[in-house]
Amino acid sequence: MNPAALIPTPDVLSVPWGWFYVLLMLTFLLHILVMNVMLGGGIIALISSFIGGEQNTLLDKEFGYKWPYTIAFAVNMGVAPLLFIQVLYGQFIYSSSVLMAVWWFSIFGLLILAYYGAYIYDFKFETLGSPRIFMLEFSVLILLFVGFMFSNNMTLMLQPEKWLAYFQNGGGTLLNLSDISLYPRYLHFVVGAVAVAGLFFALVAHFRFTKSAVNREFLIDQGMTYFTYATAIQIFIGFWFLLALPKNVMMVFMGGSSLATILLLIGIILGFSALYIGYKKQVILASIITLLTLIVMIFLRDLVRIAYLKPYFQLSDLVVEPQYSPLIFFLVVFAIGLALIGYMLKLAFGCRKEVTK
Amino acid sequence: MNYPVWELTTYGGGFLIALVAVVHVLVSHFAVGGGLYLIMLEKKAYKEDNAQLLDYVKKHSKFFLLVTMVFGGLTGVGIWWTIALLNPAATSSLIHTFVFGWAAEWVFFLTEIIALFIYFYTFGKMNRKNHLIIGWLYFISAWMSLFLINGIIGYMLTPGAWIENHNFWSGFFNPTFWPSLIFRTGISLTLCGVFGFVTAAFLKDEKLRQNIMRTCAAWVAIPFTLMIAGGWWYFQAIPEPAITMILEKSPEIANYLLLLTWVMPIFFIASMVMTIKLPNSLQKVFCFAIVGIALVYFGAFEFIREGGRRPFIIYDHMYSNQVFVKDVPEVQKAGFLTTAKWAKHKKVTDENMMEAGQDLFKFQCSACHSVDGPLNDIKPLVKKYDNAFGMDAKLNGLGKLNGYMPHFMGTREERWALANYIVSGLNHIDDMNMGNPVVEQKELPLTIPPFDKEKDEYVLLSWNDQAMHTVSDSSPYWIIQPPANNIFAQLVKRGDSPEIITAGVKISYQVEDGFEYPEKKVQFWNYANKLLGADLAPGVGMTGLKVSGTMQVEEDHHAFSAAAVPVVPYPEDGRFNPYPIFTITATDETTGEILATTKTVVPTSTEMGCKNCHGGGWKVAGVAGVTAETSLDVLAAHDKNSGTNLVEKAKNGEPMLCQSCHADSRLGTKGNPDLLNFSAAIHGWHANFLTDREGMQACVACHPSRPDGPTQSFRSHHAQFMDCTNCHGTMEDHSLSLLKKELEAGKKGAARLMENLKPRTVETVAEINPRTPWINEPDCLTCHVDFEMGSSTDAFNTWTEGAEGLYRNRHDQMEAMMCAACHSSPHAVYPATFNLLGENRDSIQPLQYQGNDRPIGNDCTVCHTVQPEFEGHHPNSLRL
Repeated sequence: MNPAALIPTPDVLSVPWGWFYVLLMLTFLLHILVMNVMLGGGIIALISSFIGGEQNTLLDKEFGYKWPYTIAFAVNMGVAPLLFIQVLYGQFIYSSSVLMAVWWFSIFGLLILAYYGAYIYDFKFETLGSPRIFMLEFSVLILLFVGFMFSNNMTLMLQPEKWLAYFQNGGGTLLNLSDISLYPRYLHFVVGAVAVAGLFFALVAHFRFTKSAVNREFLIDQGMTYFTYATAIQIFIGFWFLLALPKNVMMVFMGGSSLATILLLIGIILGFSALYIGYKKQVILASIITLLTLIVMIFLRDLVRIAYLKPYFQLSDLVVEPQYSPLIFFLVVFAIGLALIGYMLKLAFGCRKEVTK
Repeated sequence: MNYPVWELTTYGGGFLIALVAVVHVLVSHFAVGGGLYLIMLEKKAYKEDNAQLLDYVKKHSKFFLLVTMVFGGLTGVGIWWTIALLNPAATSSLIHTFVFGWAAEWVFFLTEIIALFIYFYTFGKMNRKNHLIIGWLYFISAWMSLFLINGIIGYMLTPGAWIENHNFWSGFFNPTFWPSLIFRTGISLTLCGVFGFVTAAFLKDEKLRQNIMRTCAAWVAIPFTLMIAGGWWYFQAIPEPAITMILEKSPEIANYLLLLTWVMPIFFIASMVMTIKLPNSLQKVFCFAIVGIALVYFGAFEFIREGGRRPFIIYDHMYSNQVFVKDVPEVQKAGFLTTAKWAKHKKVTDENMMEAGQDLFKFQCSACHSVDGPLNDIKPLVKKYDNAFGMDAKLNGLGKLNGYMPHFMGTREERWALANYIVSGLNHIDDMNMGNPVVEQKELPLTIPPFDKEKDEYVLLSWNDQAMHTVSDSSPYWIIQPPANNIFAQLVKRGDSPEIITAGVKISYQVEDGFEYPEKKVQFWNYANKLLGADLAPGVGMTGLKVSGTMQVEEDHHAFSAAAVPVVPYPEDGRFNPYPIFTITATDETTGEILATTKTVVPTSTEMGCKNCHGGGWKVAGVAGVTAETSLDVLAAHDKNSGTNLVEKAKNGEPMLCQSCHADSRLGTKGNPDLLNFSAAIHGWHANFLTDREGMQACVACHPSRPDGPTQSFRSHHAQFMDCTNCHGTMEDHSLSLLKKELEAGKKGAARLMENLKPRTVETVAEINPRTPWINEPDCLTCHVDFEMGSSTDAFNTWTEGAEGLYRNRHDQMEAMMCAACHSSPHAVYPATFNLLGENRDSIQPLQYQGNDRPIGNDCTVCHTVQPEFEGHHPNSLRL
């Protein structure tokens, strides 16, 4: 059977695909930032728990305050890119999701548990005492599992030739474990998350957003250390990932496409720069470099997707039946939303030293 | 069609989405209204300078955060997650149509989260005015989320003008948008009170607790009116046919409607009870009970709304099984498997039939039906189909007469594969004969009465006029036809000019041994009073006759008759014999001398195939009779489809004659003038399930003429080269001829039954000649023009003009002999050698009088002692 025949017919778009592409990239960047703090922060907190000591415990407590926020926002910021990817690549992601439906379905239930776990960890930090580590482990393991499922789906959706397995197993328990690029890809996300979360701790300390009594210098130092080590590992994993890609995809980044090759080179250079700046513990500069690296990596990730799907589909194939008024409506709502958020944050930060009345 | 389907079996049929959606709906509505509750109580606390109340509000806001943001937020994402797995095509359609609606909703979701975080974490730390502003921004954002989702959910039930113009705004501001928004806003506010009970119940201060309980009760009571008003408007705004589906048609919704009407007042009253000063321990229990009641209440509403969409997931746009409405004609033509991208087999073959059927089940049925699961389990629903024929018929009729399921989509072969999979694969019934055993021919002993051509002065001819007489042996529940065949006789005094004798003689009839006591074999006489409104003594038929007796003179016909002789096909030995033989004797009234004796078959069969589709198996000898199970299922189907209560009546000992409501000229019932006559109703209904059948396949599913069955009523020589459809038309054509007459008579039920029937013998319905059953029937002379050998075998669509033109009422051109006297009964006209109980059984009189099985008069000297020279009876009677 020809796997291309399995690809569903996509629905029509209301505005040209470029709009959705920009929104997808933008919102995915937001999601990845928050998700990294949520997951990487959990991993760092777990490592700190194992190491122990007063400051590490305070770091754990500090993270406890931040963790529920990050889950809330990681979920919220995940909604938008998932929406836009369904618009652009629905025929692929719906199909692969059904193939691994049992795992995929379990995600939101598990996330509820992880979320409550994080709240218990936060609200009952002192009451729980040292057994709180189980709560931490519980939620971090769930988040790691969820991430692994995402990596599975994001790779399975790109390979219709693997969909043929559905005819042997339609029960929704398939995964993409036979794909050798799955493992470096997943690790690339997890280790990257640790790096970004390390930077987050450093930023929190730098801007004095700490709530616990954790030592500021300790937090910056620790954060930047996690950042640097993770970035170093990340560079190795990045190369592993590149080499694990199917040859036709890999070659796109090895001269096959000049844009992809240049972008990869920029990414590598940025990675090494981040490593150096991290080693120097320059928080702000490291943050800027990291943000740039993430933007480049997101585009590289998308080029990988395009290369995988090249035999089957390109975004310009999508049919458009234009209706612009809903887009304008959204943009207006988006602007109002941002203004409201700005206003609310202003009120929130303005009240830090306010009296009750 | 387009997407793979998750094989869920047990947890299929929408179980997962129901699970996620019902809890989410409760919490998400609370998330909207709860914001206002917080602000109002916070304001009150400031106004009254009530620190205790303020403390309560803060605690409640923590509860609110944990319930709505964590559970509500994630189950909301979970619904999206779930529908994408269960119905990716519909999800994709909703996402693509409303992408910017969803995106805007995401913005409000974000502002909602930020506002709630700030509200909770700055409680007591922020300037009061600003804190209330944050609260208001939360409520507005949450309500805007409701506003946006409401438009999209409403669109699924009532897409309105979107169907035509595909405009975002037409779909969004659809016909139920505003009423639904009001209704849901009402729900949201009501739920604040419900969840308020929970947090209040755990307050230690009794006075504060009681105050808040009362406040919460008011929060339930006041928006309750808004909810009721919105709900009422909502129901008004749902257009046809969805509203009829909800209120009348859908079998699944009825229970939820009932639940809703019960739970609504309970919900209200239970909430008001909370105003009473109850012991705290009771309050703690009651508050959760009210949450439970609210869950049932709103769950029932959501089930009704979802059910109202049947058979669509997006009304008029996409069926529940992910097939676009616009694609159906192509699917019907090309086949489902060919057009379904994820089907394993593209064509049904004998080898892959089960797998293909399984695939068809997965793609077409599993969206709504689980297998052994808690929701809409397919197995009990199809349990009665003990054979693939019945299941196939059910699939054939899907979506035609009841709109809550879609049509079966695909070819005949695919439908057959699905039927086989359901019966054999799911219900593990594997009977090649479909419960209808092949009945071998078996010659029963028969003695032909003697006739001495030289000496005998009289020729006695006898026949019956209902050669396919069927008795529905289902009297405790209903009857279509009581035991009642009509026997006729003509007595001819032989001579140069034979004479028909109707005076001075007595003609008696006597059933063969073993059949004398029908009252011992069937329950008809126990229920005759209820069924016919007449008190019949056991063994006495509708006209007062028994299975043996004397015939009446029929002057108009120069004949004798015994009307409605209550013969049944059960001889003493427990077997099934549809052809009992009657002895007919002519006696001189004055002298008592026997003038002539003959025998004739008087058919009576209970081989009525209701069980082929209604389940229950055969009642007698494994081949005939309608069981209690079958009978009740027939009534249950009638009750379900026509809103009657026949099952209940039957169980209360009040069975009915079908023709008492549906008029019937044969039984002479007037019926209900608004309803279709019996023949039109029963054929028109079932034709929708039996389309495109070859030959007489559809006919023999119900009538006793199965070629290898125990009756095989069609036993004349015509059976060699014709079947039922040559004269009566195919099931569709036959039904259309009956329905068209009723349509012309203004019967409103006719159009519905005709809607999905396509004529087969002719091109259009306009070409079908309408007819009244039992009056306008096929005419022998359509083929036998001028009484010659038939030049065609196509007698459909030319009907006798009136009752006098019917074969059973007609005479020769001298108005002397009746057609049937010489040619025998309809369906068994001479030569009739295909009686499975013996080739001579239907030819007794020709054999007696002529020594052959040809029509009487084949040898003129049977009656004429001198060979006639002109054709007195009809042209070609002498074969000159």
